[in-house]
Amino acid sequence: MRRVALLLSIAFQHLAKRRRQTIVAVAGVGVGVGFFLAVSALMVGSQDDFVKKLIDAAPHIVVSDEVRSPTPQPAVQAYPGGAVAVHGYKPRTEMRGIKGWQQLVATVNAMPGAVASPSLSGGVTLRVGGHEEALAVIGIDPAVEAHVSNVEENLKAGSLHALETNQGGLIVAEELARRLGVNMGDVVGATSARGGTRSLRIVGLFGRGRSPGGSSGTGYVLLREAQSLTGQPFIINRVGVKIADPYRAETVAKALEARFSYKAESWQERSADFLTLLLTRNIIMYTVVSAILLVASFGIYTVVSNAVADKRRDIAILRSIGFSQADLQGIFVAEGLVLAVIGIILGFGLGLVLMQILGSLEFPVSGRVEHIPLDRRPRQFLLAGGASLACAVFAAWLPARKAARVDPVDILRGAA
Amino acid sequence: MSTLIEAHGLARVLPGDPPVSLVQGIDLAVEPGRFVAVIGPSGCGKSSLLYLLGLLDRPTAGSLMFDGMDTVPMGGDARAALRLARFGFVFQFHFLLPEFTALENILIPIRRLGRLSGGDARTRAMELLRAMELEAQADKTPDRMSGGQRQRVAIARALANDPSLVLGDEPTGNLDSVNSRRVVEIFQALAHEQGRAVICVTHDPDVAAAADRRIHMRDGGIEKVD
Repeated sequence: MRRVALLLSIAFQHLAKRRRQTIVAVAGVGVGVGFFLAVSALMVGSQDDFVKKLIDAAPHIVVSDEVRSPTPQPAVQAYPGGAVAVHGYKPRTEMRGIKGWQQLVATVNAMPGAVASPSLSGGVTLRVGGHEEALAVIGIDPAVEAHVSNVEENLKAGSLHALETNQGGLIVAEELARRLGVNMGDVVGATSARGGTRSLRIVGLFGRGRSPGGSSGTGYVLLREAQSLTGQPFIINRVGVKIADPYRAETVAKALEARFSYKAESWQERSADFLTLLLTRNIIMYTVVSAILLVASFGIYTVVSNAVADKRRDIAILRSIGFSQADLQGIFVAEGLVLAVIGIILGFGLGLVLMQILGSLEFPVSGRVEHIPLDRRPRQFLLAGGASLACAVFAAWLPARKAARVDPVDILRGAA
Repeated sequence: MSTLIEAHGLARVLPGDPPVSLVQGIDLAVEPGRFVAVIGPSGCGKSSLLYLLGLLDRPTAGSLMFDGMDTVPMGGDARAALRLARFGFVFQFHFLLPEFTALENILIPIRRLGRLSGGDARTRAMELLRAMELEAQADKTPDRMSGGQRQRVAIARALANDPSLVLGDEPTGNLDSVNSRRVVEIFQALAHEQGRAVICVTHDPDVAAAADRRIHMRDGGIEKVD
């Protein structure tokens, strides 16, 4: 301990005597760490925000009445394991919908913190005057759906609850309503391929660009309404699932699919391409910010290597006094550490200031004022501090090794 | 009396083509309480011999015993530890660390050895400064002291850990006659009053005359001892 204090005090004295170089090196580390923090706060913050939106945009898991491979034909089923190939068959028409969905919903609801919302989606055509628009309607139970997705938040007018209180209530996107020339409370005609024509009343509007699935061609009606409209009474073809920990969605989805054999798509699967993009983005970001830190450590290398060159005589003196090679190496590595620690502290300050500035910027997004999402967790500080400390030790260690190898006799002989 | 440092057939050859022989066939023994001067013309190997005796350099042949220990097979750390605890060096140039005050310069070897606590180390350093009549210079850095003062701080630093062997490499080479005489008196006291062995390489006839024994060197070997 005493030895460390002594080596540190010698290192401090060396640095105090080369103030300008020291300031430049410390500033380099400080700027590097500061920008590392600002950039990573920005990137990680926006990523977290984006992932949160991905997760919230739709139920964590959507079980649909599709299967991942076609249903085996009776002839094949009849001879399992036999060398049977069937060509040109006419597929049996099957009733669509999830069979035994009640059991699926009960299974999900039995999991802690999980909610399942059964729904039916189908296509209808909306008609007002001579104007027609195709619409994918989703029939829901408003009370349950509100727990599973954030439909409610995206409403500009009306409410999910209004579907229950109004006969034939319909929620559509603002853009669609405008195209049809209708507004809240107006009545539109809806025709489906299999069912008849009914009149629906607009009881809610999604805000611009905030329709479910990002498409203005999606509308919500009551589950019962959808079933009778599309002529599929008691049928459910989609179950939205929300679970307590969205990051377990993939596991849960796999389990549900294994048990009920219907396609269960997790949000990760749904947005796999986005997630790959994020990974690439992270690799780019960390490469760039690591380069900043690496460049900052060049300053430390310069200071320490100059100190070693200038202090060859002092090195010889200390060796003659009885300092070991490890002691000398320690002194110069300590110089790098001191520079790095001061630089990191300054960098933390700079990072906080930059984050403050970034956080105070306001962006109007679709009518709302938004702030840049920032990640201010201590993890980023630890990462920035740890990485630059490691760079500094390495940058100082290279010249310090040289200091340890100085042969005192060469210096003493030269001086005498 | 038993010897403190004893060399037999000590040689140092610089590798090269052709190899350069710095010193060869040195036989020598110095007892505690003796002041020995090594004299001879420039380039005769005096300093090279001193670096070998001071464990700063390694011999290419021969044996070197210090206080009954064979120093030749010792590793770098063991030699450094021995220098720290038992040896004191005084060079022609003061060789103080320029960033540190006189007191701090003396404290460096004491703190490195770590046998004394902070307060005791300071007391010890002040005592050494007082013995050199340098109390007033304690808080000055070397650039604010005279040549004689600096050399005495260097001697105080060499004595910091109470060494058994003091090695001088032209310690008066850069001093005027008054300061030289003072250094000679100090070296005599180190040997005769404090019982340390003192080996001093010198050109200065006054230093040589004050020594108990003179080793005359020529061409890397010992010519005669008187």
